[in-house]
Amino acid sequence: MRQVKMRQAELQNLIPLGAILHRPKALDLGAGVQLRRGRTHEVTGAGADMFAVLAAAAHEQSLLWIGLHRDIATLNPVGLQANLKVEQMILVEAVSRGELLWAADQALRAPGGFCVILDMPDTLSLKESRRLQLAAEQGGGIGLILLRGPANTTAAQTRWDCQPVCAEQPAWDWICLKGKNGETGRWHMTGKGPQKRGQNAKDTLHMATAASA
Amino acid sequence: MPRILSIWLPQLPLDRLTRQGDTRLSGAFAVIAEEGNAWRLVHANDAALAAGVKAGQSLADARAICPDLLTEPSDPVREDLLLRALWRWADGLSPRVALDPPDGLLLDITGCAHLFGGEVEMGHEALTRLSDLQIQTQIGIADTKGAAQALARFGAREVSVAQPGQTADALAALPVAALALPDKMVSELARAGLTTIGHLYQQKSAELARRFGLRLTRQLGAASGVEPDPVTPKAADPTYAARMTLPEPIGFLEDLENVLQRLAAQICGRLENDQRGARRFQLTVRCVDTGDHHMGIGFARPCSDPEAVLRQFSHPLSKLEIEYGADWFRLSAEHIEPIRLKQGSFGEDAKRADQRLILIETLGNRLGFDHIRIFHPRDNHVPEHEFEQIEAAGASPVWQAAPRPRPIRLFTPPEFAQVEQPGRPPLNFKWRRMSFTTDRAHGPERITPRWYREDDPRTRDYWRVQTQEGRRLWLLTYPGDETEDWYVAGEFP
Repeated sequence: MRQVKMRQAELQNLIPLGAILHRPKALDLGAGVQLRRGRTHEVTGAGADMFAVLAAAAHEQSLLWIGLHRDIATLNPVGLQANLKVEQMILVEAVSRGELLWAADQALRAPGGFCVILDMPDTLSLKESRRLQLAAEQGGGIGLILLRGPANTTAAQTRWDCQPVCAEQPAWDWICLKGKNGETGRWHMTGKGPQKRGQNAKDTLHMATAASA
Repeated sequence: MPRILSIWLPQLPLDRLTRQGDTRLSGAFAVIAEEGNAWRLVHANDAALAAGVKAGQSLADARAICPDLLTEPSDPVREDLLLRALWRWADGLSPRVALDPPDGLLLDITGCAHLFGGEVEMGHEALTRLSDLQIQTQIGIADTKGAAQALARFGAREVSVAQPGQTADALAALPVAALALPDKMVSELARAGLTTIGHLYQQKSAELARRFGLRLTRQLGAASGVEPDPVTPKAADPTYAARMTLPEPIGFLEDLENVLQRLAAQICGRLENDQRGARRFQLTVRCVDTGDHHMGIGFARPCSDPEAVLRQFSHPLSKLEIEYGADWFRLSAEHIEPIRLKQGSFGEDAKRADQRLILIETLGNRLGFDHIRIFHPRDNHVPEHEFEQIEAAGASPVWQAAPRPRPIRLFTPPEFAQVEQPGRPPLNFKWRRMSFTTDRAHGPERITPRWYREDDPRTRDYWRVQTQEGRRLWLLTYPGDETEDWYVAGEFP
């Protein structure tokens, strides 16, 4: 059974980024959405890109975006610059499923705690997921796996379903379907609308959440 | 008194092909190059010359004169490589060798000639050695660079020597073109009746300078030793390579790695002493049964660390299939670049940059460096041309923020959307087999591509559409078109 929690947070009382340094394990996306470092997290749904982008922005380190040509070629840095530091991005274009998984494994395993976004065209088996999870534990970074196919039983720490919502401002519903530590829940995130020039990654973390069933 | 030996390689491009065993050279053959809009002959072999073809002719003329003529475009890069190889080879004659591109070498043989039994003997020795390499040569020896070059190119014999102090006499009989003057000046001199260098001696140099310019008197002075014109020798670039031959073939991976470690330690030690690093390493493993296997690895920055070389080679080595063992190994470093010494891995940022580069190398060596990329800004306002992806290795990441709100996914070319209920933008449409209903739309944003550059010069209208289903799409239409087709150009977060 999915446990639905309702959480509220104000725009002002978000945890400052400095707090992340004292608690290096968890990544804070605002409004109490916590992602553990050294773990992989699965994201599905049409809003998965934004979830991954916000997580990468909170991680504040080099970002590797690994995917097939069709996924890498559609990325638009002019759109991403509002949330990410584009100069820290590395794009890895794989030509097969094997290369995708190998590249993700190497990137997660590498020392330095990279943020790795893996654009998976289909789904992951338990074995593959477990290997990526072990690699992430070794490297200390964070792995975000964007699943385009159905999510199976996997070794990831959490699984999220993210959908954009029709609202006045850009808004998303983030549902944590699975959490190894039982941290499921449902969040309604609202952005601040179109970004102004010169804003950096930190600002977009200021998202207001509203109660939602 | 310095003594200079000039080696002229008149047929270097032909010699290169001969050395490769090109069978076409047995008949009429010429090397051609594109000059202006015409192909012209640069070098022709003896058979072609005998048929009446001349260097400098256009290819069409030459074909008309000699229909059997076979040709090959010239390859300046390979010719330069051959010349540079000869530059290294010339170490055996004199320690002070300079390149004289495109087709010559200059050797300062002061105090060297007696080792070969005299200057003439030395010239013949060089000639013999080069003809062993299948390279045609003419040699001139004189007191000055200009005179030696003139004798090599215009001397009557294969080895022309001007005795010490008699340079001017030796040059007197040569035509004025031997002074390396432009063609126009040579013809002007000929019109004035001055055809040999001896004629120039009889004129006052002030008169010559006034009529033909200072260049003529300067060249004449340099050739006859009045003005200094020294050879500035430069040592050839060192090659960083090491090889190992074993008495018995080996086949185990750890043995191969031991061999590689020794080779890498040797090369990297030399690189490090010279404060240099290599961007590529090439390993050749010669198996006793299957021949040579070549493996290459690349680095994102100049590297002189044997550990890193080993680490990157571990993948290609593990793929190598050896049945009966290998007994010959060669490791060479390529793309040598100087390493600027910096305090390594001290600060957190430097450490992170190191880790990033190591990761790029690891991924690039398996997936190909062209598959590891970063974004680079471009000066353009058309959405799909505002940026490009460039290779991450060797590029320094920069990004200039563009001020426009743009989608995070951009579809190029835009994907067709089937309009169910028309409107501007459509009230109802289908995209990727999903139905969307427009809730709110913001637009249009009109973008006109640069008509003089872009493939598709049509004006575009973009709309930001919030659909009732939730997704925020970037719709596109071309306002000038007869058919009001709509496309999805991107997706906002």
